[in-house]
Amino acid sequence: MITDSVRALLLGCLACMASGCVTSSVDQMVFNKPKQGIGNASVVILGRRHASDYDTEPDFVECVGEHIASGDDSIQVIGELEFINDFYPWFEPRTAPLQIADLERLMQNQPVVAERLASLNTQYMIWIDGSTIRNDSTGSMTCAIGPGGGGCFGFGTWSSDAKYEATIWDFSESAEVGRISTTATGQSYMPAVVIPIPIIAPVQGTACDGIGDQLLQFLSSQY
Amino acid sequence: MSASMTSVHEFAKLARLAALVLFTLLAACGPAEVVVKGEFPPPTIEKLPLTIGVWYDPGFANHEFYDEAKTKQDSSWLVKSGQAQVQMWDTLLNGMFERVVPMAGRPGPGQMNPTVDAVFIPEVAELQYALPVQTNVKIYEIWIRYHLQLVTTGGDPIAEWSMPAYGKTPTAFLQSDQSAVNLAAVMALRDAGANFATSFTRVPGVQVWLQETLGSQQEVTL
Repeated sequence: MITDSVRALLLGCLACMASGCVTSSVDQMVFNKPKQGIGNASVVILGRRHASDYDTEPDFVECVGEHIASGDDSIQVIGELEFINDFYPWFEPRTAPLQIADLERLMQNQPVVAERLASLNTQYMIWIDGSTIRNDSTGSMTCAIGPGGGGCFGFGTWSSDAKYEATIWDFSESAEVGRISTTATGQSYMPAVVIPIPIIAPVQGTACDGIGDQLLQFLSSQY
Repeated sequence: MSASMTSVHEFAKLARLAALVLFTLLAACGPAEVVVKGEFPPPTIEKLPLTIGVWYDPGFANHEFYDEAKTKQDSSWLVKSGQAQVQMWDTLLNGMFERVVPMAGRPGPGQMNPTVDAVFIPEVAELQYALPVQTNVKIYEIWIRYHLQLVTTGGDPIAEWSMPAYGKTPTAFLQSDQSAVNLAAVMALRDAGANFATSFTRVPGVQVWLQETLGSQQEVTL
């Protein structure tokens, strides 16, 4: 029994050392969850990009979409760039609706937008707002190259923080039906003895999994 | 004969290689150059039932922005946006109006041009950029200020207004300064299109002209 615990602890430490440690938390508040999943309807996931000092990374939005699609292949997730280009200029940082009422107004004023949305059979629009930032880097590293070869020596470490919030809009109800937020923090290391060995904490990936799992629980009948 | 031919070929190869190396070294001394390239989607918008002429001044169609380095550590920048500007405006106007006709020359008395409802003339009044090394913010930014005119085929002004556009892109791993500036410029051009498409009918001079041209049938509420 003790041997199993020690083995688990050792494996945990080894995994942590190989990839850097990440701590994360997820909060959610959802209602009107579809009981039988979303059926044939589609979902679109978009990133918020109207803040002056950060952009929600397109690859994070893509990661969440892939997480949902791989978790339940019956859910059709529309690609962000494809959707934004299809509905240009209505989902650009300057023009994107901030409230579902703005979207309703847009569909009334521009029937062509309403028709196109209806043809996609989109039931949920999910907005993701947030970013991953890197901070607190310390340490130093020296690299040199000469006729006989080259190498580096030193140690560097930095921390990364991810903070994202997903807001779910339901078209059939014309209402916001949920908010899911996630935070993740991790420390990465880079020791170098001749060769630098990066031990990167998968902060953004952990945040993606956290938010993706909660969205899957909301959208899928299998979870 | 064969040996001398081989040596001549080798010499030619070496000369080409030396020229290439020299060219690369000289290019490294020049400004960082970006020829803006991107895809601009047509707008999803109710078309206005109008025939619009468009005139791109040579200064606009070949627009480029040069910023000389202030210090030895900085590099000079040359951003060529003319081709992308024309591409974006052509796509946008064709999606906004029933018919778009390129003009043969700048509208004015005596200038022979096709008959249209009005002629649109865009100009870049100002372009600025910011790099992370200058601002310490991990974002590449581009600002463009346009001077836009709507005139009759005779060159008489209908409306004249200025319009800002802004594009930014965050720093990314393995992304060069040039590709980041290109992406920020493409975002600025998309923003220009979005701003124009959503504000055109609200420009005071344009509103009056629309009411005169289309009458009460056109109530635009963007």
